Amino acid sequence: MKTRIAVLFLAAASIAATAAAQNSPLPLPPAVEKDLAARATNVTEVTLGKNMLAFAAKFMNGDDKDDAATRQLIQGLDGIYVREYEFDKTGEYSAEEVAKLREYFETSEWSPIVHERESKSGETTDVLMKTVNGESRGMFILSAEPKELTIVLILGHGSTR
Amino acid sequence: MEFDHEGQNSMNDFEQELAEAFARRPAPPSLKRKIMALRSQQNTERIRNRTALLQRLAACLVLCAALAGGFAWRNHEERRKGEEARQQVLTALRITNHALNEVKIQLAANDRDRQQ
Repeated sequence: MKTRIAVLFLAAASIAATAAAQNSPLPLPPAVEKDLAARATNVTEVTLGKNMLAFAAKFMNGDDKDDAATRQLIQGLDGIYVREYEFDKTGEYSAEEVAKLREYFETSEWSPIVHERESKSGETTDVLMKTVNGESRGMFILSAEPKELTIVLILGHGSTR
Repeated sequence: MEFDHEGQNSMNDFEQELAEAFARRPAPPSLKRKIMALRSQQNTERIRNRTALLQRLAACLVLCAALAGGFAWRNHEERRKGEEARQQVLTALRITNHALNEVKIQLAANDRDRQQ
């Protein structure tokens, strides 16, 4: 009986973990994220879904100008997902990893707006925009510097404001 | 005279009855015990009622205090989480702004290079 309960519990946990992984719109599989975080000296991770953004907006004081502007900015957004990895030395992430991230957004919904590549330093910057029926619905920024990797994904109506 | 005699007799009976009624009789030995027991029982009951009332009052006060404490804690927690979420939004926007600025700088540099 105990074994059966344990098996059921494990099955439920794995289903929940899979569902959580599928819900995250970031193109980083948890393993890659963990790997990058392990190599980085500084990691900033921000994951804010629609509910969390609405919750945060409630605590933005209307009297404060900056808060009011931020509140207006995040209204209509479906999510903000940010990963910033800072490394001690160069070569902590591969060009293939960056290419994989870029590939994830090479769909008909996403249009590249900016693709910059500096051959000297190897820095690359990509800005992609998601459009649905002519309306902008998201923005993806991938900035890869020798010692820094920044991934920003903003989803929702006001993402390009 | 007949009447007077009969009247006298009935008065005597009445007086005798009255005298018997008013005659001092010793209380039964169990009376004091009974009264004391009754009084003690009433006292116990009164104390029990008062204790129950006080207990209910104390329980109400504890419940009210617990509810108020829980509410205050929930409020505090919500405020803390809200502030945390707000800070996360600001951090995300700061990073986004920084990344877009980098793009802008790179584009400007490229433009300069092309013009030269």
